[in-house]
Amino acid sequence: MTLPPVEANPYPWPFDHNWSQSDTALLVIDMQIDFLKPNGFCDQMGLDVSLTSAAVEPTRTVLARMRGLGFTIIHTREGHRRDLADLNDNKRWRAARMGAEIGRPGPCGLVLTRGERGWDMVPELCPLDGETIVDKPGKGGFYATDLELLMQRKGIRNLVFAGVTSDCCVHTTMTNANDKGYECLLLADCSAALDRRNHAMIEAITAKRGGQFGAVAHSSALLAALG
Amino acid sequence: MIQQVDGIYPWPYGGRWTPRSSALIVIDMQRDFLANDGWFSLTGGDTAPLMLVVPPIARTLEAVRSAGLFVVFTIEAHRPDLADLPSNKFWRSKQLGRPIGEVGPLGQHLVRGTRGAEIISPLSPRSSEPVIAKPGKSAFVATDIDHILRTRGIRNLIFVGVTTDGAVQCTLRDANDRGYECLILSDATASDVPSHHADQLHTFSLAGGVYGSIASVENFLRVLRPEGAS
Repeated sequence: MTLPPVEANPYPWPFDHNWSQSDTALLVIDMQIDFLKPNGFCDQMGLDVSLTSAAVEPTRTVLARMRGLGFTIIHTREGHRRDLADLNDNKRWRAARMGAEIGRPGPCGLVLTRGERGWDMVPELCPLDGETIVDKPGKGGFYATDLELLMQRKGIRNLVFAGVTSDCCVHTTMTNANDKGYECLLLADCSAALDRRNHAMIEAITAKRGGQFGAVAHSSALLAALG
Repeated sequence: MIQQVDGIYPWPYGGRWTPRSSALIVIDMQRDFLANDGWFSLTGGDTAPLMLVVPPIARTLEAVRSAGLFVVFTIEAHRPDLADLPSNKFWRSKQLGRPIGEVGPLGQHLVRGTRGAEIISPLSPRSSEPVIAKPGKSAFVATDIDHILRTRGIRNLIFVGVTTDGAVQCTLRDANDRGYECLILSDATASDVPSHHADQLHTFSLAGGVYGSIASVENFLRVLRPEGAS
């Protein structure tokens, strides 16, 4: 049984008006202390995490609703192995230059390192037992992970995106998903950037030229379609 | 060894670099996107801002070829039977009025082997320079570009082409995740909407550049010239 389409820009989503719990997943991207909270990785680099943390509450509402309806929920998490075997030298160099070297001790434990406090999900959006978590070493959720395999196994065709940051990991994952043929919806208020201009740019270029990367909606439109 | 390029950070991050480990990536400079009777123009895209970067790309190409860098071209182009065309991408192109695969003035729109899929003549590839046909925006999805670059020991990538907010940024993001050290030439990349070009470069300069560095063509070409040459 298909659900009603979501009012979205630039077209009612999904394009074929065919979506349901069985073929649609909510992707919650990198809702980690390192990107959202004081003393995390981004805060240490001097970026404004009050902008990203604004996405937490709307995401919590959507997550609760989609969980209740039995949708597949997938959380991603950016962080490196403790031996840093998966850390590119240039990524390490750039972060060190901004005062937050990956793998070094910081206020929330080893910076952007798996198992540390800063790497953990924010408590408001903690995954439930049985929900999939994908650990990734880069910005894109498909790179060096099993994300695509997991989605293929479940028969997922449509992806709803929430999380941070809209111009970095969310967009990289969504553009890759779109290239791979997944039908993508970005929830504008459930994602955020560390710079308002960057978030506005992502909304604009996503909906550009008939939706070159998919469609954009407010979470209220998704909730309305869910009934 | 070549000096670092003056950009938003001195590129590449590790210091001096060699032509042999570096490649110029020329993104989607094909007739479908640049010609007046190409798919992009027929679907309402403005090609004028894109054409402005042809001369700087031509200058860059000439300089990197004489310096001995590897050159890779990409095109956005599907198989003639459209077996690699996702149904939502096809649907969107229909909404734009020119379905991918339909025959237009330059042959089937966005299909390999057509006139539309050819690189525009001022930038024609040499026989030793691979052209990667990609079915999506990123050159790393469903292609052999990563294999080709790694086989040659390429570590540094310099990006030119179109569009900044489309295939250029998508390819650069994937290259960066894969560990390539990336440089985008700000005045040899373009968007049909100039503000989208500026916004994209602004995004790429966050936190000192988390995807790579950004420099002008002039700053890049300056380090390629032999010492003492003008």
